[in-house]
Amino acid sequence: MSEYLDIKKQLQACRSKEETFKSLVMLSKQLPRLSDDEKVEENKVKGCESAVWLISEEINDSRHFKADSDAKLMRGVLFAILSIVEGKSVADIQSMDIQAELTDLNLSSYLTSSRSNGVLAILEKIIAS
Amino acid sequence: MAFDPSLLRSQFPILSQQVNSHPLTYLDNAATTQKPACVLKAVHDYYCTSNANVHRGAHFLSDKATNQFEQAREVVQDFINAPLKSHIIWTKGTTESINMVAYGLEHILKQGDEILITSLEHHANLVPWQQLAFRTGARLRVLPLTSAGEWQEEFASYFTNRTRIFAATQVSNAIGTHTPLKEMLLRAKQQGAFTLVDGAQAVAHYPVDVEELDCDFYVFSGHKMYGPTGIGALYGKQHALEVLIPYQTGGEMVLKVAYQATEFNVLPYRLEAGTPNIEGAIGLAAASEFLNKQDRNALLEWEQKLANHVYTRLKKAGGIEIYSPEKHTTLVSFSVPNIHLIDLNGYLDGQGIGIRSGSHCTHPLMEQLGVHGTLRASFACYNTLEEADRFCDALFDAMELLGDE
Repeated sequence: MSEYLDIKKQLQACRSKEETFKSLVMLSKQLPRLSDDEKVEENKVKGCESAVWLISEEINDSRHFKADSDAKLMRGVLFAILSIVEGKSVADIQSMDIQAELTDLNLSSYLTSSRSNGVLAILEKIIAS
Repeated sequence: MAFDPSLLRSQFPILSQQVNSHPLTYLDNAATTQKPACVLKAVHDYYCTSNANVHRGAHFLSDKATNQFEQAREVVQDFINAPLKSHIIWTKGTTESINMVAYGLEHILKQGDEILITSLEHHANLVPWQQLAFRTGARLRVLPLTSAGEWQEEFASYFTNRTRIFAATQVSNAIGTHTPLKEMLLRAKQQGAFTLVDGAQAVAHYPVDVEELDCDFYVFSGHKMYGPTGIGALYGKQHALEVLIPYQTGGEMVLKVAYQATEFNVLPYRLEAGTPNIEGAIGLAAASEFLNKQDRNALLEWEQKLANHVYTRLKKAGGIEIYSPEKHTTLVSFSVPNIHLIDLNGYLDGQGIGIRSGSHCTHPLMEQLGVHGTLRASFACYNTLEEADRFCDALFDAMELLGDE
């Protein structure tokens, strides 16, 4: 949770899309990379212009996520998204308004339904996991 | 009147806005162009003063709308130097124009016939022909043009006595290549093939003369030449349009209907089923007149100067893969090895700069180039040298920010 608050502070301090972009690039460095074995077709999120992989598993009633992308911007966005849902129960995740959380993080412009990114597809995969 | 870029720019209301706290730098003109005030006014005035359905009612507004609609056809006829106004068919745009031809010519194809396209085509000038080939047993062949677009003697063998249709773009949307249209059309005509030229990317920049080109069909979209979306045209020679079976039927395109038979209307109405896009036609005519009023050569020279400026700066900078040929059109297509397109695009967007990233609806061409996609900066007459520099500077900043691992 403290990690999420840090990210929140950092992103909410951004005063322009330029600053948000730079913050996401910085955050992308904190997202552990997946191995080539994990970057397989079945872990891919469809509907993203960049390649995005998402894996989750359940340990003691909480969901744990790993994700990666070939684009830094998406790795930053993934890091922010995972900080919201990581370690929560399926019921909690399903009752959360993740889009509202992301809007709160100054990331609303990445929530477009356009084909250029795939944040909505990522959220769908998280909720379905 | 001498060409003044800033004066021209002031006619485009959308361009004066700020995007992400920066002045908007719109360099995605190959996707769609912005609209000058005269086009917006033409559409607005039509609804304020003349709106009615065309070709039917015998009342004041219907006559007025019909006159404007048919005058618009004449303006577009002149714009591409078509011999008759009945040779201009209104469509939704380039894609519908090509589909209209692909469906309309289905009846002339049989198993073993060949449809020839080039390796630089947009999906719009590929998929309709591929599907036509599937439906008829014809074979789709692809002339392997290179990025440079030069004619090579061995290409001649692709034009055979089985080539029934030859379709090619005038210039490449993805990488800005001029295709060797003259040489290709000559070979296609020698084989008696129907010829179609995709002018979507050309009309805004290059004066078009369909009589000089001497192709059977010429297709383009309004929105890429400062006109509205949802309107475009199919030009065809008389005999070529007459061969087309209407792919849509219904009202407007008929003379006499009985339950057992229908007598189709004459050209151009035979190919225009349903109530047409009246405002679009009027807007497209206004866009044509807007271009007619300009010194087209000066405009082209300006756009080319901007694209050349960017091309030279990117080349000089190094570390950038440029896919556009040295002799390119008014766009530059490139990528930066090891930096994702959407990262570069994301940074540029934050600077108020709009360019296109992706495959540009040319998957086979991207495969030929060995990439998933490219970034494309494409210029229009209202762009400035300052914008070209702002784009280059921002790109170099993005490379610095994103380049480290």
